[in-house]
Amino acid sequence: MSGPSIEAVGLTRRFGAFTAVDQVTFDVARGEIFGYLGANGAGKSTTIRMLTGLLAPSSGEARVAGFDVAQRPEAVKSSIGYMSQKFSLYLDLPVLENLLFFGGAYGLWGKELALRAEEILELTGLRALRSATTGSLPGGIRQRLALGCAILHRPGVVFLDEPTAGVDPVARRQFWRLIRDLSGEGTTVFVTTHYLDEAEYCRRIGLMTDGRLVALDTPQALKRTWVPERVLVARGRNLAAAAAALADRPGVAAVEPFGSGLHLRVQPELWDAVSVKAALAAGGAAEVAVEEAEPSLEDVFLAVVSRPRPGPAPAEVRP
Amino acid sequence: MKRRLGHFLVRVGAIAAKEVLHIRRDPRTLYMALVMPVLMLLLFGFGVSFDMDHIPLAVADRDGTRASRELVDAFVAPGEFALARRAGPEEAGDLFRRGRALALLVVPRDYERDLSRGAGPRLQLLVDGADPVTANQILAKADAIVRSVGLARARRAGLSAEPPLQVKVYTLYNPEARSAEYLVPGLAAYLMAIAAVLLTALTVAGEWERGSMEQLFASPVGRLDIILGKLLPYLGLGILQLLLVVGVGTAVFDVPIQGSPLAVFAFGFLFLIGMLGQGLLISVVTKNQLVATQAGALSALLPSMLLSGMLFPLENMPLALRVLSYVVPARYLVRGLRGVMLKGNGLGVLWPDLLAMAILALAILAVATGRFKRRLA
Repeated sequence: MSGPSIEAVGLTRRFGAFTAVDQVTFDVARGEIFGYLGANGAGKSTTIRMLTGLLAPSSGEARVAGFDVAQRPEAVKSSIGYMSQKFSLYLDLPVLENLLFFGGAYGLWGKELALRAEEILELTGLRALRSATTGSLPGGIRQRLALGCAILHRPGVVFLDEPTAGVDPVARRQFWRLIRDLSGEGTTVFVTTHYLDEAEYCRRIGLMTDGRLVALDTPQALKRTWVPERVLVARGRNLAAAAAALADRPGVAAVEPFGSGLHLRVQPELWDAVSVKAALAAGGAAEVAVEEAEPSLEDVFLAVVSRPRPGPAPAEVRP
Repeated sequence: MKRRLGHFLVRVGAIAAKEVLHIRRDPRTLYMALVMPVLMLLLFGFGVSFDMDHIPLAVADRDGTRASRELVDAFVAPGEFALARRAGPEEAGDLFRRGRALALLVVPRDYERDLSRGAGPRLQLLVDGADPVTANQILAKADAIVRSVGLARARRAGLSAEPPLQVKVYTLYNPEARSAEYLVPGLAAYLMAIAAVLLTALTVAGEWERGSMEQLFASPVGRLDIILGKLLPYLGLGILQLLLVVGVGTAVFDVPIQGSPLAVFAFGFLFLIGMLGQGLLISVVTKNQLVATQAGALSALLPSMLLSGMLFPLENMPLALRVLSYVVPARYLVRGLRGVMLKGNGLGVLWPDLLAMAILALAILAVATGRFKRRLA
């Protein structure tokens, strides 16, 4: 199959007067890890449901794995794997039985199914737990099993809706290793997440607010576009009073408490680490240390949410 | 084409196999489907009897002669009545209120003298009418006893023992009026209805509630695959249940199967399909196990018990209820099973009942399938 794995053009979904997804346009290349970010209710799950053939678009169109989601939802369903937000393993059944069931649901059976289930157990590191009752396992392991169930039939495209919600950091890391392995084998991964640190693993990120895709690019490019200011981190004592004074000075875009220190965004022409340190010390802070920091996706996210889109609309930018 | 059929069978098989695993891992399902019916059958069979004996009887014997004592003996000796106490007729109200007796027999003074003179003494029987079924039985029994005492006296006196006109009653089918023979077909309907409707409603609603339905909808699994895969295991369980109820009925309560066992099976099979369809419809509409349980219990239990003719004859019901009973599959099943088991009826007689059940089953399955949408909105 040539061309992009996922292609959405003006994809829109309305529920009555409410527009959950508004004119969303993007495409995802084969083997790409595509992150879909946004607050709760921003339209992420609705987008996924349209792309998986579960929900008919109100207007616009989308092709997934080469099939139009509105015209041929059944063909789409056979070619994708889907792990829904509350992916529902059967908790009363053993690990292996869950795999066998989802394999059967995709038409696999007999020796082929048994072999593939073994492969998945190996891949997800669940071989020793094959007979364990699923409900007795911790959340992180269940999520790996759920991913295993979604990729048993070797889909070309996998949709993961908040796959790591409520999972501890170690398990999240293991989970993302699996996602990168999948992508390495040529599987396209479309993933939504709340965790901005995870989004760094994605090759490209789409940011949604109120049903609209307001930014779409690689994490680096997003940071350059959306956070043109210099990001500084300050530590020391008596920072609070000094910070309040600094916030009113020209060229200071934001001063936010960050742990025990301060997170500052300043115009690079007017401020650098040295001048900020001097200003804070003048304001009454003691033992001040200021360092330049890389803007995080959190900075991007906050900038996107609080501002109208800058420059050319990034939603229309294509790789 | 062949490949598509193969995939279809694999998917149905996978769903059915998963359901069997669920059932095996949850003893409650098996208990509900197999143990509870047998327990209820034993309980009803042994416990519920429409045939009363040892009815507590108070006696006010104002004659106190040999003849009056003979009369009281005739009431008490065969075990139909039990002598609760001797009392005056004015005590009747009090005795009934306190539940010490259900009837009071008053033998008038000069009973023996009037009897020997042929003057026709008048006995008085006061009956507690609070429960009309019991009161009717008491009246019928008292009537029979008094008549037989009268006949015996007449014979001793050398008079004609035969009244000029009489009716001889032969009861065909269940001649001893045993409750079990009457109840087992009805109970089979009731138990199968509950298990089939509740279990399917629960399992399908469970998939909605868990969110796994969305997961299945995003896979190539189709509506028909889910319906067949979910219903087949419970159809098997229901047939097992039918065998068990009929088996216990014949083994423990000597309920006969006069007709063909195959006809029993045909009735049970069609009935189960309808009930499974009803369970499916409930779960598709409610999408919630708690509500499905309530709706399933109500819609299976009440009609199959009250409108099936299992306990109460449909002929005596108000027109509205009688009309309603025509859409209750249990009505046809109870009639059919009684026909096959007690009367030995064949399909030649019972085909309208089978046809009605088939129509109702298809209708409810069609509605349930129609309401079962694979898209979320």
